[in-house]
Amino acid sequence: MAGAGRAARTRDGAMKPLPITASTMTNACGVGTTDVRSALIRGESGLTRNDFEPAAVLDTWIGRVRQIDTVGVASEYALYDCRNNRLAQLALEQDDFPVAVEAAVQRYGRDRIGVFVGTSTSGILATELAFRAGSLNVCGASKSLPSDLYRYRHSMMATTEFVRSYLGLAGVALTISTACTSSAKVFGAAARAIAAGQCMAAVVGGVDSLALSTLFGFHSLSLLSRHACRPFAVDRDGISIGEAAGFALLDPSGESDVRVVGVGESSDAYHMSSPHPDGAGAAGAMRAALHDAQLAAADIDYVNLHGTASRANDISEDRALVDVFGTKTPVSSTKGATGHTLGAAGVTEALIAVLALREQWMPGTTNCARVDPELASAVLLLPHSQRLIRVMTNSFGFGGTNCSLVLEGGR
Amino acid sequence: MIGIALGGIGVCAPGMADWQEARTLLRSPEPQPSDRFPKVAPSWLPAIERRRANTTSRLAVAAAMQAVRDVPLAEVARMPTVFSSADGDGEVLTTMLVALAQPKVALSPTLFHNSVFNAPPGYWGLAAQSNASSTAVSAGDASFAAGLREVHAQIIATHAPVLYIACDVTRSIVFRDASTAPAPFACALRLLPADAAQPAGGRRLDGWSVDMNEDVANAERIELPRAFAGNPSAMALRLLSAVANEKAAVIRLPYLDNSWLTIRYFP
Repeated sequence: MAGAGRAARTRDGAMKPLPITASTMTNACGVGTTDVRSALIRGESGLTRNDFEPAAVLDTWIGRVRQIDTVGVASEYALYDCRNNRLAQLALEQDDFPVAVEAAVQRYGRDRIGVFVGTSTSGILATELAFRAGSLNVCGASKSLPSDLYRYRHSMMATTEFVRSYLGLAGVALTISTACTSSAKVFGAAARAIAAGQCMAAVVGGVDSLALSTLFGFHSLSLLSRHACRPFAVDRDGISIGEAAGFALLDPSGESDVRVVGVGESSDAYHMSSPHPDGAGAAGAMRAALHDAQLAAADIDYVNLHGTASRANDISEDRALVDVFGTKTPVSSTKGATGHTLGAAGVTEALIAVLALREQWMPGTTNCARVDPELASAVLLLPHSQRLIRVMTNSFGFGGTNCSLVLEGGR
Repeated sequence: MIGIALGGIGVCAPGMADWQEARTLLRSPEPQPSDRFPKVAPSWLPAIERRRANTTSRLAVAAAMQAVRDVPLAEVARMPTVFSSADGDGEVLTTMLVALAQPKVALSPTLFHNSVFNAPPGYWGLAAQSNASSTAVSAGDASFAAGLREVHAQIIATHAPVLYIACDVTRSIVFRDASTAPAPFACALRLLPADAAQPAGGRRLDGWSVDMNEDVANAERIELPRAFAGNPSAMALRLLSAVANEKAAVIRLPYLDNSWLTIRYFP
């Protein structure tokens, strides 16, 4: 295989490989990496019929993390208590992630570790429910919301600040909110901040939680499936929204069997909420990631798709894949298992790619029984063992934003 | 550490329809901008998008057009964009929250896509026909400084120009008391590696550091015009004031944990 021959070659001009020295993920498939892994290997879906907030009466399926319905954040963070931050905390509590971060703190100091979190929702649900409860209406501006609500739960920085505080970090930090590429782009921002000397290591992640605005928003675009979503399937009819959190510790001088070796970002300049029909922007991001890694398309052994199961998205991505890779590279979408976790999709799927590299198997496309004959890519329906050296993961989103990551396994 | 040069500048805010107006205003001893909302003309946007675009996006695109006025369009289309905002578009957010609170919810698709935090750089991509990378960052009151650090890191990584757009439309009952909400503010800065700047040595940003101490030696005590106090994006006025007055200055921008991002500006 072409990839194997390249392994030892020095790649001049390539991004400095960034070892992933610890990681954790929580989504509808499970709490922590082990549970998510089991569901993916068994081809199980975490999606269920929509039973979210009574206000969200929509005939669709969701990827809900039920453990956060009742358990609040740790008492010292009470100001931050909301669905998004509960989800962040639940994820951070798994896989001994804080232990790994603390070891990095001992090595570098807490002010030398950056925090880069992607989210599209942050804790907006808290404000949505406050509005519905009538604590505020557009005429009654004087009846203001609880003053802390926006700042600590809803604002774009709220979850990043919570994560940073929970992990005891005090270095460079920011939130990236670029819709469904948010937590893919954090890998690029962290790599640049490390290269620029703004930090020595970084915690990157994504947290997105179910909210009325995303459910009704995607409904308004007629993009919600009435079933558990079926990516790349002939009978696909839209997306299933999910919630998720995932985090990775990136340490340039750490040891790991998986490294980020390429990040590619591009824009469609086509439409605010529809992808370019030929996938031109998506192909641009994939090529940029390959260029960043100084790799050829043939060096990629597997692609974890954006694969949302919307009619237009999957066609667009398929055309981009054919353009960049041809039709032989195995691909699959895990959104039938997790749902489309929007701002957390990038990191969730990057961490699924880490699992694939570490254990040498590719996940299947859960819920897809028959691939759309109009799509030409080599879609895996079931999990499949294969030697993997380098894999790509794709994320595309509103505003025509695209981001592809290349990960490399082995020592 | 690589120096950063300041190329083009754009401003779009009440009393400051463009950089020319802003410069004149910032040269006065006590700048008092009028509250006249500028006639925003994001003319690069296709007509249909101009009608759909929300206030944040219109201000951002109008400011960005000014900042790249002297750059060939092909080059503009290749220029990566960093957008920063603390709160995004409060008007859109409030409209959406009110719609979501109705017994029977109906959101418009345009309202939903305008509510996405990266709508302004998305519209800019359409305006500039740019396939270059584009990001949208936030860090509360530290948003302007955090975005500037991302720009700095990008320029170090690519050694190429970056368009930086900052905008906050904070007039929203969600964020704070609407009666005291600061005026909207958008600015755009074309930033490039210092050694690529023409003329050599002009308008340079240097000496980037994060300081806990508020009393940085020689730091300019530049107060924002009162209308903009509390608008995180308007922190740009501290830098723009030094640029307008063509004087070297130490600029302090609020950063995380009550620290400051300190930058030296050389005209």
